[in-house]
Amino acid sequence: MAPTVKPYQITVPDSAIERLKTKLSPTTLPGETTFSNDWKWGAPLDDIKRLVNFWHKNYDWRQAEAELNKLPQFMTTVSVDGHEDALAIHFIHQKSEKPNSIPLLFCHGWAGSFIEVTKILPLLTSGGSDSEQTFHVVAPSLPNCGFSQRTTKPGFGISQYAEVCHKLMLQLGYKNYVTQGGDWGFPITRAMGFLYPSHVLASHLNFILSLPPSPLYTPLLVLQYLTGRYTPAEKAGLERTKWFTAEGSGYNQIQATKPHTPGFALADSPVALLAWIYEKLHDWTDQYPWTDEEILTWISIYYFSDAGADASVRLYYEITHPNGHETQVEGPMNDLMKWNKVPLGLSYFPKDVIVVLSSWGRTLGPVVFEKRHEEGGHFASYEKPDLLASDLRTMIANSGISCS
Amino acid sequence: MSPIRPYTIRVSQTEVDKLNQKLALSEFPNELEDAGRNYGAPLGEVKRLVTFWKDVFKWSVVEKEMNKLPNFETTIDVDGFGPLDIHFLHEVSSVKTAIPLLFVHGWPGSFLEVTRLLPFLQESAKNHGPAFHVVAISLPNFAFSSGVTKRGFGLQHYAEVCHKLMLVLGYYEYVTCGTDIGSSITRLMSKLYPSSLKALYTNLVPALPPSPWSLNPFPFLSFLARHILNLYTPAEKAGLEYTRYFQKEGMGYYNLQTTKPQTVSYALVDSPVGFLAWMWEKMHDWTDGYVWSDEEVCTWVSLYWFSRAGVESGLRLYYESTRGDEPARAGGYIPHTKLGLAYFPREMFRLPKAWGHGLGNVVYEKEHKKGGHFAAWEVPEAVAGDLIAMFGKDGGAYGCVKGNAGYASQPS
Repeated sequence: MAPTVKPYQITVPDSAIERLKTKLSPTTLPGETTFSNDWKWGAPLDDIKRLVNFWHKNYDWRQAEAELNKLPQFMTTVSVDGHEDALAIHFIHQKSEKPNSIPLLFCHGWAGSFIEVTKILPLLTSGGSDSEQTFHVVAPSLPNCGFSQRTTKPGFGISQYAEVCHKLMLQLGYKNYVTQGGDWGFPITRAMGFLYPSHVLASHLNFILSLPPSPLYTPLLVLQYLTGRYTPAEKAGLERTKWFTAEGSGYNQIQATKPHTPGFALADSPVALLAWIYEKLHDWTDQYPWTDEEILTWISIYYFSDAGADASVRLYYEITHPNGHETQVEGPMNDLMKWNKVPLGLSYFPKDVIVVLSSWGRTLGPVVFEKRHEEGGHFASYEKPDLLASDLRTMIANSGISCS
Repeated sequence: MSPIRPYTIRVSQTEVDKLNQKLALSEFPNELEDAGRNYGAPLGEVKRLVTFWKDVFKWSVVEKEMNKLPNFETTIDVDGFGPLDIHFLHEVSSVKTAIPLLFVHGWPGSFLEVTRLLPFLQESAKNHGPAFHVVAISLPNFAFSSGVTKRGFGLQHYAEVCHKLMLVLGYYEYVTCGTDIGSSITRLMSKLYPSSLKALYTNLVPALPPSPWSLNPFPFLSFLARHILNLYTPAEKAGLEYTRYFQKEGMGYYNLQTTKPQTVSYALVDSPVGFLAWMWEKMHDWTDGYVWSDEEVCTWVSLYWFSRAGVESGLRLYYESTRGDEPARAGGYIPHTKLGLAYFPREMFRLPKAWGHGLGNVVYEKEHKKGGHFAAWEVPEAVAGDLIAMFGKDGGAYGCVKGNAGYASQPS
């Protein structure tokens, strides 16, 4: 039976909200030390105390839910080869009313969700002036996240996530589309470019992972890399990357090797989840002035997710342990960093967690758009929606893509 | 000097009740089909252990048993950090000239690890083998010792507390048995207090390949030759394989705890399930097929849960141990202190014996066929056997402590 797309409204059961409140009172917190508010050690105690208190006493999920429900949300099912026959996929779908709009798949990452599209959505669909490119935007909750279904078998990796996103676009009648991704959106949309090259019109990335130019494959870039001087922005990017690798990648390593272990705490304790994600919301952004409301909505989406707060972290394991491999292998990620012919737009934001050199980014494919911004971080679509929207429009203009 | 006081472990009923209340509200994640253990602590095991912890395990009974051990407390001042109350076990041998031995645990271990060695060491004393006065410290931030709430309490401070404890007990010269981070701490003690720490035994050998830059080229050339020609023994090959595997798959907790321990703390403090899973995964994965009873697991986990400084305080050691003046180091030749190195097949890293020779004056080394990271708990007879051999009359460290060679002055 063909899957049917149905309108969807988030309705977290009362029992779940009650359960949250019960768990938040009393919450046991670590003791105070001289370093318990030092961001270097992790999420500060005073912040967490305040957020727990707010979450428990004043935060109104129903209000946040009502706001989210103003978005055009839908639910459908997607079959995934070798996995679920009818995986429930929650997504936002907003068509632009302007002519010549191009379909765009927006792929969120971790520790975000579909919420990452909310600010950029009107900019992409309505645009600014009449001459500006607009898009039909599709923003799914990835499987195991938000209000999409949990997967049950090992081996649901990047190709499967790519398959879900692609099939979703096809279901909505979009045979050809543009992709936009940050965080997990990087490997997922890159995989789409490799798996479905005739469907992906262009790929825009705000999180760019790449390897140094190889003398074998990209000799000219090697020259550029070796003889080029780094701009101050590139230098700062390298510093930031060094910091992330040395001080900020613990969560990545544990999620990529033993995801079930922290999963117990994330499933059992809302404050565990709160701290785990809040630390990223702070460290990965460019001094974004998060309100307590925003923080708790981002985290409540995890807490109230269909799959459970712990499920999303498994993706880190799946990508590094393909086909039931017992130890991590670099192959899959390295493959995604090989040259792909899909026209590419690269937006570098200075406070993202990995910021590579421009010469490296150019090894990913034919770059039709490249910009190094002066502000913004990992969650670019949320922090700097104007900048990102503008980048997307310029990329399309540069690439000569039009919607026929 | 602060007096030594007998110590009684007394966890309040309020704390026990609080734990049980939390356990009753436990929520569990879903698990993938056929996940096995690759993804981390298996759901079925954690659920079973949580049920046991809540419904069967009686802390009061365990506490009573623990109080039969020779528990003591003293106060040690550490410059810049103030006085710290230090809990420890102290078993004095009937042989007056027994060898003072300090056992230093790591994470997620405790003083309890030494208790399995005691019967074997006591046997040794009875059977004309060397006798030991055994001291097992609870490191600051662990079990019933004070927590340190000021930043900067590094390995050298842990070393200082350990050393001062031995001095307080009247042991100006002593030997150590160190495991996990206790290995790093005792290595640092040998660097800082060479005239006191006469011999050191460890099962976590922090060796590096021989350096090409050392004055004696032969160790490096030999290493190179053996490496290129793949001339490692089967045990060494297996050890290297396992080390590589562990580096890839088993170091996530280490990376996280050495960089963002505060973030982890919230999870461990608020969720006993979360903490149990965190610890249980290590207890299983780091041991060599050791069959833990639910009682044992809950005892180990409860020692952390009911610890004086809080379940999360042991993590601070990780953060501090990679920074400051004395970060944990692999390799490096430390003279004077005699070394006893034990190689167990399921230790986290298990490197060729020749590399261990670069660490100091190795007077004893043994390759075991069974046992892992918590060797003293898993295979106490083997560890005790090592100590007896190392310090016995034919051992390389015999008589290293002046006047305390471990034998009664009159042969019986």
